[in-house]
Amino acid sequence: MSRPLRLALTYFALLALLALTVGSSFLPLGFGNTAANLVIAALKAALIATVFMELRSGGPLPRLVLGAALFWLLLLFVLSWIALRGV
Amino acid sequence: MTVAAPDRSTYFAEGAGLRSWLLTTDHKRVAWLYLVSLTFFFFIGGAAATLMRIELVTPQGDLLTDDAYNRLFTIHGIVMVWFFLVPSIPATLGNFLLPLMLGAKDVAFPRLNLASWYVFVFGSLFTLYAIIAGGVDTGWTFYAPLSTVYANGHVSMAAAGVFIVGFSTIMTGINFIVTTHKLRAPGQTWFRLPIFVWTLYATSLVMVLATPVLAATLLLIVLDRLFGIGIFDPAKGGDPLLFQNLFWFYSHPAVYIMILPGMGVVSEVIPCFARRPLFGYKLVAYSSIGIAVFGFLVWGHHMFVSGQSTYAGVVFSFLSFCVAIPSAIKVFNWAMTLRKGQISFETPMLYALGFVGLFAMGGFAGLFLAALGIDVDLHDTYFVIAHFHYIMVGGMVTAYMAGLHFWWPKLTGRLYSEILGKIAAGLAFLGFNLTFFPQFVLGWLGMPRRYHTYPPEFQVWNVLSSAGAVVLALAYLLPLCYLGWSLFRGARAPGNPWGATGLEWRTTSPPPEDNFAIPPVVTGPPYAYAPDVTE
Amino acid sequence: MSDIPVSKAFADTERETEADRFGMWIFLATEAMLFGAILLGYFILRLKYHDAFAAGSSQLSLPLATANTAILLTSSFAMAIGAETARSGALRCAHRALWATALLGAAFLAVKAYEYHDDWDKGLLPALGVFHYTGPNAGEMALFLNFYLASTALHATHLLIGILMVAFLALPSRLPTPRRARRIESVGLYWHFVDIVWVFLFPLLYLVQR
Repeated sequence: MSRPLRLALTYFALLALLALTVGSSFLPLGFGNTAANLVIAALKAALIATVFMELRSGGPLPRLVLGAALFWLLLLFVLSWIALRGV
Repeated sequence: MTVAAPDRSTYFAEGAGLRSWLLTTDHKRVAWLYLVSLTFFFFIGGAAATLMRIELVTPQGDLLTDDAYNRLFTIHGIVMVWFFLVPSIPATLGNFLLPLMLGAKDVAFPRLNLASWYVFVFGSLFTLYAIIAGGVDTGWTFYAPLSTVYANGHVSMAAAGVFIVGFSTIMTGINFIVTTHKLRAPGQTWFRLPIFVWTLYATSLVMVLATPVLAATLLLIVLDRLFGIGIFDPAKGGDPLLFQNLFWFYSHPAVYIMILPGMGVVSEVIPCFARRPLFGYKLVAYSSIGIAVFGFLVWGHHMFVSGQSTYAGVVFSFLSFCVAIPSAIKVFNWAMTLRKGQISFETPMLYALGFVGLFAMGGFAGLFLAALGIDVDLHDTYFVIAHFHYIMVGGMVTAYMAGLHFWWPKLTGRLYSEILGKIAAGLAFLGFNLTFFPQFVLGWLGMPRRYHTYPPEFQVWNVLSSAGAVVLALAYLLPLCYLGWSLFRGARAPGNPWGATGLEWRTTSPPPEDNFAIPPVVTGPPYAYAPDVTE
Repeated sequence: MSDIPVSKAFADTERETEADRFGMWIFLATEAMLFGAILLGYFILRLKYHDAFAAGSSQLSLPLATANTAILLTSSFAMAIGAETARSGALRCAHRALWATALLGAAFLAVKAYEYHDDWDKGLLPALGVFHYTGPNAGEMALFLNFYLASTALHATHLLIGILMVAFLALPSRLPTPRRARRIESVGLYWHFVDIVWVFLFPLLYLVQR
């Protein structure tokens, strides 16, 4: 698959996910809406990172940095949760 | 700069006018730009401390008003933390030495390096303005809602200055990480790197991951103060504990920014003056990274009595005990390096040995504070102040002095007066202990921090502490004199005056602009001091 | 044209390209921590005041924000095309893609400005002094709306910086093509990151359900 084609397909996938996230917000799913939205957002981010930002080529260092950032964000959220809201 | 360099091949020779310094991209000159700025701020922070210690000689608040005293300890904290300690070793010695230790010609992003200094200076203008215009009284910790709702004074200005200077830190961190990965000389594998490089790398990790959280926190403080967004204001549904949580998420790792480079310096000096390889090199390297990572897990120990959940207190207390382990490993390794060594007591070694003892003392005090029950009594007392000054002054500033004296010949091509160096080191050790040990006692007796009045029975300890501060001030002024003197009249230094290992000593003192006449190749482990010793 | 490293520290451009990419990713990690810290505050308060946050969210303009999300995704597509064509040497195409990116970014800001104007009229910007809601939990809804303003303004600031950088890159330049391609790749990484931030902000601000 040529790169421009891959870029275009990714773009359309992103638009589809946008439609999905907006559309699903009209269904009364309670907390399921938030969960679905966050999962879809994560999927979009993953597509942008792997395809547009070429995470898979370009050596291991960018992936290491991304991993570190995600780990540190997790740390921030989990420990803050414990500190501020108990368990 | 009137340093005469008769040999045209040193980095000083590549231009002498102001433009050549202010538009330089040479990491060695950027280091000097930082050295000048940081020395300036050190003495501003020191001046604030001097006034405080004078006030504290008597139990009454007779020299300063309450408000003035609050502004002084705030200035002291803000300036010493962000405008001196955080950049100190990394931006001066780190900038100068990292490429040399790696065998490189410069850092990965030389223009970013210069830009980081300009960002530092620009940010400092905001804070200087805040100081001159009357100061801030919230403490360096900017707690909300005091800082956002009730404080008078130039909170937003001071916060803006720190916010901007944070970007300088981030830029330095990015530069160091990329440089260490991408610009090592042939043969320079990770486990052949000097520990100073490992600690700079660990420091840079903390710089890039923690500082943005400070930026976010200060941004929210300013928005809350200027626009009343209410995020930290209980009256509007906000949460003051959220502020403390975000602030300490940065500020605890920040203290590791303020000690790791010092540990790195000591790891270079002790092997050199004991003539032995560093004991347990790999363990020390791993501990450096361990301190950087673990340092992010303990911030709640600043909030034990804030109203955070008790469960969280237990978790953070346990983790705080754990974080002492890698530091302890380092102390043991430094001690073991001395064993069977041929120890000599040149000025850098005096400072380095002082570091080990004083840092250990400060660390022990930290263990006391990590214990929940004890912290309830000691929180916000002088015990805490003594604890962190033992580490930051007894530790980091001492290490900074060790490093300055160790590498001064490399930086300047000059030797300083060894007698005066030893006298200053001795005075510093005496003055430091006289200043801060009484503060452990005061804290234990119950004297709270940030107060300028106290019960008369505390006076004797306060007087001892203030007397110590006089000696300490002298000890810090002395190097300013004889190091400055050496720039003009010091004996010329050879390439390797200490007989030390490390790539920086394989080039001239001072180095040429491209650092090495012949690009070095590394063929063996670091600290090859006693070739017949295997460890 | 031969491509030499920008910095004398590097012996060859391949190493320097890796360094540039690595450095930009680290910078993006710092930005992730910045926005992450702000989102932490958002999550803590949203859990406390869920109903007020949901009510506030439903006041915001979903159509405008959806359109903006689509615009930004398109701009990322254009940016990726720009980076790819610059690398393969098709400079005219890259040039056009960069201008498209910048224009789409500007369109986002225009829609955002219109939306802020709309929010002002409806009294949804308490931080700026206009707040017309008088129902229950007004103070907590104000907290949400302030968060909305602060986080979208911070994002918009980042976007503006991105637009300026992309526009600058689209201008005629005497740089060797490989060096231009490297710069475009770096700026592209930043652009995609700003897009990712919005991808998360959008559902968190506009799609809070009751």
